[in-house]
Amino acid sequence: SSYEHKLNFRKSKEACLSYIQDALLQKQWKRAAEFLTCYVESLEKDYSREHIGPSEMIWRIGTEILWHHSQSSMKEFNCFMEQMKTLGVKRYLKVCLEHVFHLLCNGQIDEAYQNLSLAESWRFGEQTAIQDKEMKLIEAYRGLLDYCSWSKQKNILLEHSEDGFSDLAVEQEMHGYFRKAAVNLKEIIKIPGVWDVFVKCYVDLLEFYGDHNEARQVLNEYAYNSKFPANPNAHVYLYQFLKRQGESKKSLISALKILHDIVPSHELMIDFNTMLQKSKKRKKRRLGLEVIFAALDYAGWKDNAKAWSCLARQVKQIVTSEKHLDWIKQEWNSRKDWWPAFHFSRYLAKRNWQENKSLSYEKALVAGILLGKDCKYFKYVSHQGCKAQLKRFRMLKKFVNRHNLVYLRISG
Amino acid sequence: MEFPAALFPSYFGAGPPREEGGPAPVAGWGEHGQVLEGGLGRRQAQPAFVPRRGATGERWEAADAAAVPVLLPSAGCWIPSPAPQDILYRSSLCKKLRAGKSGATLDFARQLGHFFVDHPEDAFGSLGQLLHKNFYLGNSKLKRPARNSTIRMTALVEDIERLEARRGCPRQHLASRLRWFSHLCRDWLFEVPLGLLADCLHEELIQQWSNLLFDDSLTGGALAWLPREEGGTPVGRLVHPGGQAMNHLYFQDVVLEELPRARGSPVQFELSGRVRQVAAARVDGEDFVGVRSDYHCGVWRVPGRTGAAPVPLQVIRTDVPASCLTVSPHLPGELSVCTQSGTVYLWSVETGLQQLRDDPQTMFFRDHSPWRWSDFTAHPRVLSCADRTGLQCLDARAPKKCHFDLFKVGEEAGCQQGERVVLPMYLGRAHPSQYLVTTQFSMYVLDERLPLVPVLKWAHMMKAPPLFAHLMPGNPGRSHQVLLGASRTQELLLLQYWACFWGVSSGGSQSACQLVGTPQKLHSIAGCLQHLPTQLPHRQHLLQQRLAAPAAGLAATLQEDGLHKSMLVFQLSEAGDVFCQRLTHKAAQPPAPPSRDEATTAPGSSPLFEAPATLRYRRWLRALSRACREPLRHTWHPSLSQRRLFTRRDLEGPAGPSSLQKQMRQRLHQAMREGGRIQRWEPSAVQPPPLPQTLEPAEGPDPLSARLTAAWGGDWEQWWEERTSFSVAQRQRALRERRRRQKRTRGRRSLSASFTSSLTYQSELSELSDAGPPLVSPGRPPILSQEGSPPAGSPAVRSPPTSPAPDEALLSSQSLRCRGIPKERRKTLRDYLSVWAEGPPEPPEPPGSQASQLCIPSSQSQLSSASQPRRKRPRMGF
Repeated sequence: SSYEHKLNFRKSKEACLSYIQDALLQKQWKRAAEFLTCYVESLEKDYSREHIGPSEMIWRIGTEILWHHSQSSMKEFNCFMEQMKTLGVKRYLKVCLEHVFHLLCNGQIDEAYQNLSLAESWRFGEQTAIQDKEMKLIEAYRGLLDYCSWSKQKNILLEHSEDGFSDLAVEQEMHGYFRKAAVNLKEIIKIPGVWDVFVKCYVDLLEFYGDHNEARQVLNEYAYNSKFPANPNAHVYLYQFLKRQGESKKSLISALKILHDIVPSHELMIDFNTMLQKSKKRKKRRLGLEVIFAALDYAGWKDNAKAWSCLARQVKQIVTSEKHLDWIKQEWNSRKDWWPAFHFSRYLAKRNWQENKSLSYEKALVAGILLGKDCKYFKYVSHQGCKAQLKRFRMLKKFVNRHNLVYLRISG
Repeated sequence: MEFPAALFPSYFGAGPPREEGGPAPVAGWGEHGQVLEGGLGRRQAQPAFVPRRGATGERWEAADAAAVPVLLPSAGCWIPSPAPQDILYRSSLCKKLRAGKSGATLDFARQLGHFFVDHPEDAFGSLGQLLHKNFYLGNSKLKRPARNSTIRMTALVEDIERLEARRGCPRQHLASRLRWFSHLCRDWLFEVPLGLLADCLHEELIQQWSNLLFDDSLTGGALAWLPREEGGTPVGRLVHPGGQAMNHLYFQDVVLEELPRARGSPVQFELSGRVRQVAAARVDGEDFVGVRSDYHCGVWRVPGRTGAAPVPLQVIRTDVPASCLTVSPHLPGELSVCTQSGTVYLWSVETGLQQLRDDPQTMFFRDHSPWRWSDFTAHPRVLSCADRTGLQCLDARAPKKCHFDLFKVGEEAGCQQGERVVLPMYLGRAHPSQYLVTTQFSMYVLDERLPLVPVLKWAHMMKAPPLFAHLMPGNPGRSHQVLLGASRTQELLLLQYWACFWGVSSGGSQSACQLVGTPQKLHSIAGCLQHLPTQLPHRQHLLQQRLAAPAAGLAATLQEDGLHKSMLVFQLSEAGDVFCQRLTHKAAQPPAPPSRDEATTAPGSSPLFEAPATLRYRRWLRALSRACREPLRHTWHPSLSQRRLFTRRDLEGPAGPSSLQKQMRQRLHQAMREGGRIQRWEPSAVQPPPLPQTLEPAEGPDPLSARLTAAWGGDWEQWWEERTSFSVAQRQRALRERRRRQKRTRGRRSLSASFTSSLTYQSELSELSDAGPPLVSPGRPPILSQEGSPPAGSPAVRSPPTSPAPDEALLSSQSLRCRGIPKERRKTLRDYLSVWAEGPPEPPEPPGSQASQLCIPSSQSQLSSASQPRRKRPRMGF
């Protein structure tokens, strides 16, 4: 009967799909391709109302096979993609985007640009929310490619100006690219999302043409709009922009302070600490100590010699001046129960000494002051250092012995 | 650790997931996702783009055609956990599954029936005994007078069978007799009120079924690999559970040769619960191994030196089953524990437990699952905690105030409707601030510096949700490998991803997270079946069942010697088998000529292993068949010594033979000597023999002996008269007893009714069915008449009673009491005697094995002193 036929057809379809899946997962592209040619038949009687229909499956599987198949060529791939675009209206934009991505990754920028322009002009009835998003992305990527062309023209122009002559046609072309890029990039960065590349490009364009206010506004919006995710890069871009603009220390510090609040382990925290240490204000130096202590809480900073030298320098400074020991005390208070095991174990002393002598020097200094001269880390490193007859380590031992009482005051 | 200079573009939305979806079989293929321009702002002729997914990765190829067993199967046959067909309604099973729409139907009635048959004493002990006489089990028709008070059960059984035959046909006219019978006795026949019993059973069934569909108690996996370095030869330790109940923990040294080989015998710990999870982390050159069972968590320290024995450090007990145990990769002796009641603890061996959160509600939206998880993050004082709806990070120093959302099942991460968190894992060994989160549809990589937005997302297309994950960090500038494993389907998937470069921007390109290479399926344990020689059907079936047991853990290690790099993947099954497969690294190259490897790895085309693997398999199969044959032999000769139940004195008969018997024996001997014959059983004297006095103990003789004695004496008729009047008295006594019992049961019922929870009742129930240990009663117990028991050296007692209902006389608690058997022993005796009717007994539990090392923790802390659900035989330590 027809019902049974339908059922059998579905069954064999499923079996075929599972064979394909199996082959794909074992990288048997040729086998998968053979099965896929059989699976194409499933398009004929597509009764399914499943999440992913057969046409999408064929697109996905076919693409994957063509990526990896040893005998596939770009021409075949393009041909397949064109066919897939006609298979489903709903997926047209998505397939276009993926096609463009593949072209871009294979360095076919011009073809990608053509495809993006074509997709941009595609209209089919009312768009769904997803299609709307995809369209915006297509426009944004076209903007990005326009920016790339602009950047290329700009470089040509700069080279030419170095040679001492200007090319009006190239300049005209460049401005044209700017306009096209700016329009599209501006649109996408208004929508909440992660648009690092687009924002960077747009700001670069604006800066080149001297529109610093607009650039600042864009970056502020990207960093501080609460609808956007808490992207550390947004703050980094803003900070870099302010730095380029030669803004005051104060505004740089306030930008980094916010970055410190959301990501205390960001690599810019070293710059932040150096900046704060140099400050004349007590409050800022205090913040600097907080920043470097907080950064060293994180596992990723454990072996960062630079960060340890920042901390060692500041701690040494405080100890020698004998002022603000309470700062150290306060920072140490919340860490004294786990820093010794986390940073200053005997095992780490051995390893640090073997791998990075200067790191172990900085750490030993901090350990000696925070935990006293009997601390395992300090004892091991200073002993090894003295044995190796390194002057630096002898000085270190002397310094820690002289200030041994500090540790009692800190931990007390 | 640097943050990528630019991230892949993505939209960000808030709120519940919008995308409708479901399991999509091919959703992970053919998509680059997004692209990112590599050399932005550099003076290049052409910008270079990299995809989020699809860049070429490393090439790993399976060295063998299937996974190979690492260890021999342990002695003692594995008892498979219930399968769907055990608890599903049978007749409609196929239909329902084919339709695939509505949920499965549980066969509640069959299970209740099983209970009645398996535990008749608990189901209707007292009333069953009382009514015994009113149920007739014979085939013949009942005569008139008996019919008034007796039911012919065979007719009822016939009716039931007929009903069974036309099950599923509601229109059919039911046997009125059945309805009448059930209507009549539903309220009073059952020892435990039927409603309550049904509630308990239903609860249990639903629990079993949901466990079958998805058992999250295994999350994390119970297998760990502790690598060691020993003079060039790569060795390591496999930590895995074993034993019939999976309650033994083994630390087995393994040498990584061509095939991994166990070295020496394992260090073994006996624990008092099934091991659900084994977690390990290395801190300061020492491994810390956390072991989770339902109500206990323990931690061991394994020193870095080879040969050093693992040291048990501490054990904690929880009231509610623990659902997670993770070991800190930052600080020695720190772990995090979650319980199903929604409590998260930071557990330090030195300072004890610190409660971080106690909230039975889920975090972001309501979900019924009590599963909780917790892990460590880049900051040693910040822990993540997860439930099915997402992840949050808590600062242990101020858990109430300082927290942020790391992952939400919602539009933020582009989730689908119905998507739930299955396993979160800290990827600290690859990248200190990255996190893996798997759901039943996708895997996500998160960066805690950019919460809520996954830096990587990919639909993993696995048939069952991945409960196990293992990370193998690559060297700086290399891709990291992640293995995902599912339990029920034994799936194993190998993924590769790039994270940030460690400070080096080699080639100056971007460093956002990308998925590289194609996902790769590895061999499952069951996959080796097709390569094994065909066995006898029943053995093949056994083997199939064994190999298809759900996976219970996953571990892996990278091995590098010179130019050769390989990966060893271990998989543990619920049956306790550990299988292993080797993948060899091929230098990254553009798609290689496929013909050769495709031919060798296609299923069915390579029945041959390398020689060592074949040998390993043969040995394993032999050991398996040996282990599984043993219990069979047990069933043949049930040997039971009654001496275990009763002392010799209990079994001794009355003082020697009576004088009458002596006389008779003497006469017999004499007649035999003389070759004559005894004409009349008459004593030598003319006077009638004295009535046998000894046969009349205080409680009265058993009916047969009394009757025989009377017949002997010649006044049988008088005896009958007495007997009828006696039976009236007995009946009266039975009635009185019954009334008293009813009163007692009524009392119990009202007591149980005051408990709202059916669980309390359940525990009462199990207490009822659990007989206490036999107590030795003081004084000399009176004689016990034996039936059918072998005369095991004890003097013959008396002629077996042939009263109308011998069983009743033997087993009813009343008669036992009459015989002076102490109350505590009656149940034991009944069980003992019923053994003969039922068949072989269960093998006696072996006494606590002294050979195995007992875990004696240095200290034992307790989460709470409140009572916890009953456990069987708590052993030391765990």
